[in-house]
Amino acid sequence: MKTMKHIRYGSWGALALAMLLTLVGPFYSPAAEAHGERAQQASLRMRTMHWFDTEIQPRKVAVNETVHVTGRFMPSQWWPEHIRSVEESAFMNIGVPGPAFLRIDSRVNGVPMIRSTRFHLGKTYEYDVLLKARAPGRYHIHPVISVEGAGPIIGPAFWVEVTGDQKDFKHTITTMTGNVINPETYAMSTILWWNALWFVIGIAWLAWWFRKLPVIMPRYIKVEELGDDANQLITIPDMIVSALFFGFVMLVIAGGYFWANYQYPITSVLQTGKVEVEPLPQPPQMVEVEVNKATYRIPGRSFQVEMTVTNRSPRPVQVGEFNAANIRFINNKLLNVKAQEKDDLVAATGLRVDNPPIQPGETRTITIYADDALWETYRLTSLINEPDGRFAALLMFFDDQGTRYMQEIGGPMIPSFG
Amino acid sequence: MSTVSGAYGKGGTPDTTTRPTKSAVRNVQEQMAAWKNVDYTLIPIFSILIGGVTVFLIALTVGDWDYWADWRDRRWWPLVTPFSLIIPAAIFNYFFWKRFRLPIGATAMILGYMFGVWVSRYMNFHIFANFPMNFVSPSTFIGMGLLLDCTLALSRSFFLTGLVGAFLFAIVLYPLNWVTMAPFHVPVEYNGFLVTVADLMGYQYIRTAMPEYVRIIERSTLRTFGEAVTPLTAFFAGFVTLLNYYLWVWIGSILTQNRWLTRLI
Repeated sequence: MKTMKHIRYGSWGALALAMLLTLVGPFYSPAAEAHGERAQQASLRMRTMHWFDTEIQPRKVAVNETVHVTGRFMPSQWWPEHIRSVEESAFMNIGVPGPAFLRIDSRVNGVPMIRSTRFHLGKTYEYDVLLKARAPGRYHIHPVISVEGAGPIIGPAFWVEVTGDQKDFKHTITTMTGNVINPETYAMSTILWWNALWFVIGIAWLAWWFRKLPVIMPRYIKVEELGDDANQLITIPDMIVSALFFGFVMLVIAGGYFWANYQYPITSVLQTGKVEVEPLPQPPQMVEVEVNKATYRIPGRSFQVEMTVTNRSPRPVQVGEFNAANIRFINNKLLNVKAQEKDDLVAATGLRVDNPPIQPGETRTITIYADDALWETYRLTSLINEPDGRFAALLMFFDDQGTRYMQEIGGPMIPSFG
Repeated sequence: MSTVSGAYGKGGTPDTTTRPTKSAVRNVQEQMAAWKNVDYTLIPIFSILIGGVTVFLIALTVGDWDYWADWRDRRWWPLVTPFSLIIPAAIFNYFFWKRFRLPIGATAMILGYMFGVWVSRYMNFHIFANFPMNFVSPSTFIGMGLLLDCTLALSRSFFLTGLVGAFLFAIVLYPLNWVTMAPFHVPVEYNGFLVTVADLMGYQYIRTAMPEYVRIIERSTLRTFGEAVTPLTAFFAGFVTLLNYYLWVWIGSILTQNRWLTRLI
């Protein structure tokens, strides 16, 4: 008996909890922290695009103010052969939640990116996307390269806060016919009256057939009774009204068409197609790197790369940064790079380089260690569970005057379990 | 007391083997009131049901071609849309004609659809996703439904309705919507490119999941008549819509048989 009572109390308690969650749940909505970049396979993130020098400024703007998203990217030479290549068709995109911003301009190496394009593997490109704040809020903005048939490749992001009121947002477009239009409300009155007119005509047609209720049951019974002679239910007035409606509808369609041509005598068809973008001039290769062995030691979350480096530059060079899948592992003995905010993917002390600088003309075998919990939190450790667990990364060397030499490295990765 | 003639079967003879011997209605007035209630109940339910079904159908088959102003190109949109929309139009055209001799199926369906799709675009695309309403407002198809229904009323023949009505159903799509499309086809020069207002809005109002190449915009081949893409597409769409109409009238004739209902009951 007592057990039954407990069960009853338990049931009521569960019901109350469910109701509470139902009522309170909708009010708990934590900010979306990412655009799914962690969901993509680690090796694909590493072997598709290297993003670097990403900058988004300013980080706090009011509605109507602009934000620049700038940086560089290099399509990987280790691009997976089983997915469509960025060398076929791609689009310089931006990752924001809907039209919270307007894309006023976007360029890659100075070429406007309203259309799709293609990028060459191993070459460097510089982008600049100009956004105009439209809706207040806090947004995580990513540069994105969308690859046709493959999907989006999401670059590093920064948070941007937009203040103000969307009601104050102003934007205009000047057409080639000389009109300055507001795209927020452009042609809306035409859309409304044209649709309203058709709703009225459509309802008038139904009203004719339902002008005298009841309709459904008596007609159903009559049709059943009359069988093959049921067409006599369509009366002469019905025929006349149908003919009038038919003619009127044709007239309205034709009239609307000619009215639109009169109002907008100059129109064009939707435009599409590709543009060509030349890559940035490639600097002479001053540092040559050959990967001998890459190992990921699972217990220590440590990625080790043993490589042979030849320095052809006139000054000694040292490894300063290892950039893989948007995570920057920094050699803090050489560079002082800190995470700019909580979600900035910088391991400020994540790169260990236990060797002295490589002298001009010297060839030496060195080992670097990229160690950080970001391997785990950004799901790069899943590399060991992937069918093609090869890696690729961007290695950045610096000489004593701060000149940067970049070299992409890649190859097979061997896991170490001890 | 007057009796209700014809209410229970042919010739007004009550069928006592399958029907109750006593009716809930006692006179003509009560019968008429009950039938009016049937109208008041069924008409809104039918409108919502068939409109809702069509919203899903069009979302699945036409989708982006109708969602965005910068997708309504001169070939695919006027071909895919009537070909898909004729499916429910043919079924309901048949159903309302065959069961009630009412030439309202296509118009009623499209009115229900238009109501549903306006609610959807306003709530989902404008209020929730924050796109300007003009950029995501739906195309109108009511005139197409009216032509189909009027042809049926005038011809009283599914064959002629297909030949004339279904053909017109497809052909008028582009001119019917040109009133609301033309403003968005006004040319704009943007960074040295010729684009339309729709193209530019599609670029400026960011859709992260819709890179430019995703739009399926007809670009012609060497076999295409240079400036006749839209009229040729309209005639081709008319022809395939006509065939699709006959197919779905036939399927409708199977789907709307009484035996499905009696089996359920």
